[in-house]
Amino acid sequence: MKKIYKFTLIPFVLGLMAMMFACTNLDETVYDTIPADQFGKKPAEINAIIAPIYKTLKNVWPSDIFLLSEQSGDMAMTPTRVGGDWWDGGVHMEMKLHTWEPRNGLIRNSWDNCMSGITTCNQIYATIEVSEMDADLKEQTLAEIRGIRAYWYYILIDYFGNAPLVSDYESTELPGMSTRQQLYDFVVSELNEIKDQLRDDVSDESYGKFTRGAAYTLLARMYLNAGVWTGTPNWQGVVDACDEVMELDYIIEPVWKTSFEVNNQVSREIILPAAFGKADGGNHMHYRTLHYLDPIALGMNIGTWNGVSAQPDYVKQFDDADPRKEGSFLMGPMINPATGEVLVTGHGRDLNHTVDFNIIPGTEREGMWGEVNQEEGARVNKWVYEKGLSNSDQENDFAIFRLADVYLMKAEALLRLGQNNAEATSLINEIRERAFGSDDYNYESVTLDELYLERRLELAWENSNRQDMIRFGNFLKPGYLRPQTSPEHLLLFPIPETAWETNNNLVQNPGYPAF
Amino acid sequence: MKQKKSLLRGLLSFALWAITLFLFGQNISVNGIVSDTEGEPLIGVTVQVQGTSIGTVTDLDGRFALQNVARNAILEISYVGMKTEVMPVDGRTRIDVVLTDDTEVLDELVVVGYGEQRRREITGSVTNVSSENFNMGVTRDAADLLQGKVAGLQITTPSGDVTDASRIRLRGVSTLQNDQGPFIVIDGVPGGDLQTVAPQDIESISVLKDASSAAIYGSRSAGGVILITTKRGSAVKPRVSYDGYFAVSSIANKPDLLTADEWREYARETGKDTSVYDKYGANTDWFDEITRSGTSQNHSLSLSGGGSGNNYRASFNYQKREGVMRDNDMDRYNFRFQLQQRAINDRLRIGLTGSATMRDFNRPNRYNFVLAYNMLPVYPVMLDEGEWFDTREYDQGNPVRNQQLNQDHWKNIHYYGSGDILFNLTEELDIKALLYKERRTEERNQYNHSESQAGRNDGGYALRENRMWDKNLMEWMLDYNTEFGTTGQHRFNALAGYSWEENEYSYMKAANRNFTTDLLGANNLESGQGLRPSDVGSARNMSRLISFFARTHYSYMSRYMVTATLRRDGSSKFGANHKWGLFPSVSAAWGIAEEAFMDDVNWIDDMKLRVGYGVTGNQSGLDPYKTLQLYGTSGTYYDNGAWLTAYKISQNANPDLKWEETAMFNIGVDFFMFNNRLNGTIEWYDKRTRDMLYTYRVPTPPYLHPDMMANVGDMRNTGIELALSFDAVRTRDFFWNSSVTLAHNKNEITSLSDDVYTTSRIMVGDAWVRGGSGRTTHVVEEGYPVGQFYGPEFIRIDDEGKYLFRDKDGNEVNGVTAEDYTYIGSAQPDLTFGWSNRFNYKNWDFSFFLRGTLGNKVLNMGRMTYGHPGYLIGANALNDPLIYDLKVVPEYSSLYVEDASHLRLDNTSLGYSFPTDGVSWLEQARLYVTGQNLFVLTRYKGLDPEVDENRNNGLAPGVEDREYYPKARTFSVGVTLTF
Repeated sequence: MKKIYKFTLIPFVLGLMAMMFACTNLDETVYDTIPADQFGKKPAEINAIIAPIYKTLKNVWPSDIFLLSEQSGDMAMTPTRVGGDWWDGGVHMEMKLHTWEPRNGLIRNSWDNCMSGITTCNQIYATIEVSEMDADLKEQTLAEIRGIRAYWYYILIDYFGNAPLVSDYESTELPGMSTRQQLYDFVVSELNEIKDQLRDDVSDESYGKFTRGAAYTLLARMYLNAGVWTGTPNWQGVVDACDEVMELDYIIEPVWKTSFEVNNQVSREIILPAAFGKADGGNHMHYRTLHYLDPIALGMNIGTWNGVSAQPDYVKQFDDADPRKEGSFLMGPMINPATGEVLVTGHGRDLNHTVDFNIIPGTEREGMWGEVNQEEGARVNKWVYEKGLSNSDQENDFAIFRLADVYLMKAEALLRLGQNNAEATSLINEIRERAFGSDDYNYESVTLDELYLERRLELAWENSNRQDMIRFGNFLKPGYLRPQTSPEHLLLFPIPETAWETNNNLVQNPGYPAF
Repeated sequence: MKQKKSLLRGLLSFALWAITLFLFGQNISVNGIVSDTEGEPLIGVTVQVQGTSIGTVTDLDGRFALQNVARNAILEISYVGMKTEVMPVDGRTRIDVVLTDDTEVLDELVVVGYGEQRRREITGSVTNVSSENFNMGVTRDAADLLQGKVAGLQITTPSGDVTDASRIRLRGVSTLQNDQGPFIVIDGVPGGDLQTVAPQDIESISVLKDASSAAIYGSRSAGGVILITTKRGSAVKPRVSYDGYFAVSSIANKPDLLTADEWREYARETGKDTSVYDKYGANTDWFDEITRSGTSQNHSLSLSGGGSGNNYRASFNYQKREGVMRDNDMDRYNFRFQLQQRAINDRLRIGLTGSATMRDFNRPNRYNFVLAYNMLPVYPVMLDEGEWFDTREYDQGNPVRNQQLNQDHWKNIHYYGSGDILFNLTEELDIKALLYKERRTEERNQYNHSESQAGRNDGGYALRENRMWDKNLMEWMLDYNTEFGTTGQHRFNALAGYSWEENEYSYMKAANRNFTTDLLGANNLESGQGLRPSDVGSARNMSRLISFFARTHYSYMSRYMVTATLRRDGSSKFGANHKWGLFPSVSAAWGIAEEAFMDDVNWIDDMKLRVGYGVTGNQSGLDPYKTLQLYGTSGTYYDNGAWLTAYKISQNANPDLKWEETAMFNIGVDFFMFNNRLNGTIEWYDKRTRDMLYTYRVPTPPYLHPDMMANVGDMRNTGIELALSFDAVRTRDFFWNSSVTLAHNKNEITSLSDDVYTTSRIMVGDAWVRGGSGRTTHVVEEGYPVGQFYGPEFIRIDDEGKYLFRDKDGNEVNGVTAEDYTYIGSAQPDLTFGWSNRFNYKNWDFSFFLRGTLGNKVLNMGRMTYGHPGYLIGANALNDPLIYDLKVVPEYSSLYVEDASHLRLDNTSLGYSFPTDGVSWLEQARLYVTGQNLFVLTRYKGLDPEVDENRNNGLAPGVEDREYYPKARTFSVGVTLTF
C-alpha cells in the first residue's frame, strides 16, 4: 500500500511541476477586433479598409474647418448670447475680429483634421499597395486614395500655407515644413497623375467616390487660387479643368434644393460629397444653428445649441426676390404649431430670428463684440430640415464640390482672362435662372464683381467664403464689427501650438510669434 | 449459542489480561479540564498524545480523559484561536490545562500575502484591523469598516449614491490612469471585489502598505494590498448570530437656490417682467421634490460550528438601501458558506468556499440635479389638471417627471466558488493548491419615457445591456517552516508558488427608440421604430496573468528578522517586448525590546524598527489588446446606396507597453508601552513610480492616430504616518480608548517625458459653464502634484461687475490669457486625520469618530455655474451675493477653488449589552443606535468638501460638479444577537 502511494505521488508531483512551468503561454486571443495581418484579403474587406479615407471628409463640414472659412470671412458668425452662451473663451470672436492666436481651438481642430486625413490616406495607401487585388482595380483604388489626400493638402495650402509634406506611411521621422509652393506642386502633380486612372461615370455607383470629375474640379480650384498661393495665376488651367468636368455627365439640377435635400444623393450636380448618414456622425448643422425652441416650430424632436448664424450684411446682399435668400436663411418669428403663437425664449422674448444683431449695452468684451439676445440672427436654412426627426443627426450630404461651382469658376477665369464675356455671362445666367425659376434676373453681360456676388449667393455656408474673399482682395478690408484693416499675415492661419508641441520640426507662419 | 459463549469468555479473559498488564505496566490513564484564562471550560479542544494516534476532544465541561498513556508521554493540547500547549505527563493522572488566547497582540498571527506571520516578526508595513475595531452603523463594504482606522489609507465616499463604491487610496496617487486603489485579496484569492463580502462576515482586514509587503502580488500591487479574512466556524460550540438594523437617511446639504419669493423679489429689483413664467402661482423647491428620506435595513444571519477535524460557517446578508434621490435604491443579497475538513491523520485539509452576491439597484439620473438647479421655483411640478408641467428650455425639464416615469434598473450577480487543498508532505513542508472560478453578470434595463425630458427627443428610449466577467484561477504553493537551534531560536520559512489566472469579458447591448406606447418599457425592444445601427453593440476580450513567486523569512529569537520576496509576472496585456516583469523586495526588522540591554526597561513592552524596500507594479490602466496592431470597425461608409461597415486600424500599436513600476522605501517603528496601554506606529516612506502609462499626443503624420499610450512619466510620493492608540482608562467598569491616525503625503510628478514622448505640461479637466467650453481646470506638470488646479488668480469683482485677475506681471486686469494662469491650489490634502474614541461603562458602550483633511482645495462648480445672473430670470440661480455683483459670464478662477479643509463627525454610536449570564440559550444581545455624517465643519461653500477623487481618470480630482449627488445623514438603530 505504502509503495503504491509513493509511486503515484512522485510522478504526480513531477507531472504537476511540468504542467506548471509549461503554462507560461501569454498570447492574446483577440475577439472583438482583428489582428492587422489577418484582414484585407477579400474584395469586400479591401473595400471596408478603403472606406475610412471617405469618412475623413465628414470633418470638412459643418466642423471647425467650416467655421474657419465662414467666420473669418464675412459669411457666418457665432455671437456670444446673453448670459454667455458660445463665448467659449472668445474662439468665435477671434474669428470675427481677426484676433486669433495659435492656441485657438478651432484652428487646432482644423489642422488636426487635415493631418489625420492625410495620415489615414497614407496608411491605407501603404496597405492597398501591397495587397493582392486586380491590377486595374488596384490602380483606380490607389488613385482614389491619392485624390482624397490631395484634397486634404488643398485645405492645408488654403488655410495654413506651409505644412509638412508626408506621403510615405512607413516613414517614422518627424516631418519638417514644406512651403506652400511645394505643397501646391505636389497636389497639382498628384492630380495630373491620377486623373485618368479614376472612374469617370456619374452614377449611383460613383456617388461618394473620388472620381475624375472630382480630380478636375479640385485641379480647377488649385489653378483658381494659383495667383494667391504661388504668385503665378493660371486662369487658362481653370478653364481647361472646368471644361473637362463639364464634359462629364454632371448636370445643373433643375431644382436648386435637390442638392440640399435630406436624400440629396440623387443629385447629379454633386461631384464630391461628404456622405452623411444618421448612423454615425452625420450632418449636425441643425444642432449647431437652431435655437433651443426652433425644433418645436419645425416639427423636430432634438435638443439644439443656438449657435452659428449669418452675418447681417451677407444676408442683406440677397435680392428679396431670390428664393436662395429664404432657401439659405431661417428668418422671422418662429411659431408654436400647437398654439399658433410665437415661441418665447428663456429671456422672456419672442423667438424672432432677426437679420440684425443688437449688442446688449454693458456686455461689450473686446472692441465691438458683446452679447446679443438668443433669438437674433438668421440661421442656416439651406439643408432641408427633416420633419419628425428624432434626436439624431441629419442625412443631407454636404457637396464639397458641385457643378454650379465649376460653372462659376470657369466664368471667373474667363472674365479674368478678359476673353469671352458672353460665355461667362451665360454660365452665370444658367445658375441664376435655375435659382429664380425665370430668366427675369439674367445678366446682359457680367463684371467680376457680379461674378463675386453670384458666388456668394450660390455658395453661402459652403466653405467658400474666406477663399473667395482672399482671391478678390476683400479678406483684410474692414467689415462688420471690425472697423480696421487686418494685417497681411492673417491671410494664413497660424500653425497650432499643440502641433508644435508634438513635433518641434514645425515652423510658425510669418507674422505670428515664432515657436 | 455455545460458540458465542466461548467467544465471550475468551474476550473477557483477554480483557482481564490487558487490564492487569495496564495496571502493573508503564501506562496510566490521564484526565483533566481545559479552560481559558478566565476559568471558562473549553469545549472541543483536541488533546493528543504526541507521536501516537491516541487523542480525544474535551466535552461540554471541558473535561478530557485518555487511557493507556505512557508515563513519559507528551500531551499536545490545541484549539483554534488559542496557543497550543505541550505538556509532559510525567506520570500525572490529573492534568488541568489553561490555554491562553493566541490573540495576545504580539504573538497574534497576522494575514500577509500568501500566508500568515506573527505580528512580532513582521518586517513590512502591515496594519491589521479586526472586527471589534470596525466602524459601526450602515456599512456597505470593507472600506466603510476601515474608514479612518489606517494611517495613510484615504477612503472617500464620492457621493450620496447608494450604488457608488468608495474610493480607496493608499499613500497617494501613483498612476495617471485612474488609480484603482489597493489590490483586494479575499481569503487568499487575489483580485476580489469588496461588494462580495458582507461587512458582518469579515473577521479581520490587513492592509499591506509598503512595497516590501505588497511586492509578492507583483504587477498589481503598486496601490497597496488589502487582505480580507472572513469569519470561520470554530469548534467552541455551534453558534447562530443575527445582526440587523433599520436606518433613515436624509439629504445632508442641498444648494441654496432662490425660492419663489426670492426669485420674484429679484425680478422686481432688477425690473424684469415675470409674467411669462409666473403664471402658476407655484412655490416649488425642486431639490425637495427630487429627494426624500430614504430608509435602509440590513439583516445578517450566520451559523457556524465545527468539530475536531472540521469547521463550517454559512451566512446570509440582506441589505436594502434607499438613496436620498427618489430614483436611487439598492437591494443586496450576500450568501457565503465555508467548510473545512481534515483527513488522512490531519495531514490533508480541504476547504470549500462558495459565495454569491446579488444586487438589484436603480441608478439615479444625475442630470436631474442640473434640471433642479435650472428650473424656476415658480414652475409647478404638476398642473392643476393633474398633468405634468414641463419645458424645453436649455438644461430644463421636469426632473420629478424624469424620476417617476423613467427607470435605469440594474441586476448584478457575482458568484464564485473555490477549493483549497493543503497537504502536509512532511512535518515542515506543506503543499497547497487553490482552484477558483468566478463569474459576474450584469443586466441593465433602462427606459426613458417618451414624454419625459430624458426620453422626449427619442420618442421613448429603451436600452438593454448585458455584461459578463469570468475569472479562472489556479495556484500552487509549497510552504516550508522550520525551527532549529537548541531552543528553536532560529525560525525559517520559505514559500514558493505558481499562479495562473485568466479573465474574460463580454458585453452586448441593444437599444431602440420611438415607441408607440410607453407601456412596454425596455421589455420589448423590437416594438420601437427608430433602430439605428449604433443601437446594437458588443465586445469581448480576454487577458491572462501567469506568475511565479517566492518568499523567505528568517527570524532569530524575534530579535532580528529578515524577509525577502520575489515575483515574476507575465501578462498577455504587456507588449511583445516586455512580457515578463520582476518584482523583488527585501525587508528587515530589529526587535529592540528583545535585546538584553532592554531587560531593565519595563515600561516598553515591545519596540521594533523596520526597514523595507520593494518594487511593485500596476497594470490596471492597461486594457487588453493595447499593444497590437488591429483592425476595428469604424462606423459605416456610403457605397452605391448602401451603408457598409468600415474598418480602420484602431490604434497606434505600442509593443513596448508594460506595467508601471513603483519602488518604495519604508522605515517605521512599532511600539507597545506601559503594559500595552499605549501602542503605535510611526512610518516614513518614499515611493517612486516610473514608466507611468499615459496616452500621449503624438504627431500625425507619422502616426495614424493623434494619441498613443506609452510608459513614460515618473512620479514620487513621500509621506509620514502616525498611528496611536491609547487606553486612557482601564478599570473594571470603565474603559476608554482613544486612537488617532495622521497621514501626510506629498505627491509630485517628476517627469512626463522621455526620448520619444516629450511634454512637460498636460492641461486636463473641464471647467464647463454655459459659454465657457474649452477651459481646463487642472494641470499635470512636472514638479507639481496630480490634482493641481491651474487658472487665473482672482482678486475681486470690480465696480462694473467684472472679475479682476492678477496677470503674469502682477497687474490687476479684467481679462487674462493662458500666459497669466497660475497654480491656484491642489486637490490633495496636506494632512488627513481620523480620531476615534471608544467608551465602555458596565454594559454600555459609546463611540464617536471624527475625520477630516487639511489643506486640500475643491472647485465649487455649482457656485461657478449658478452663482451668476446671466440666465435669470428664465432659469434659476443660487441665492448668492454673486448674482447681484457679477455682471459677466462666469469664468474659472481661484475664486471658485475653495479651501476644503474639514472636520466631519463621521460616526457616533451608543450601545447597550444585555446581561445574558442567566440565559443559557443566549450568548450576547446588544442594542445600539448610530448616527452617521452628523456634521461637517468647513469653510467650503459648496455641498460637501469630500468629492470624487476619480474624476477625469483621477487627473482632475477635487471638483464638485453640477451633477454632484449630495451625501446623506443617517440614523440607525440595530441589534446584535448571538445564540
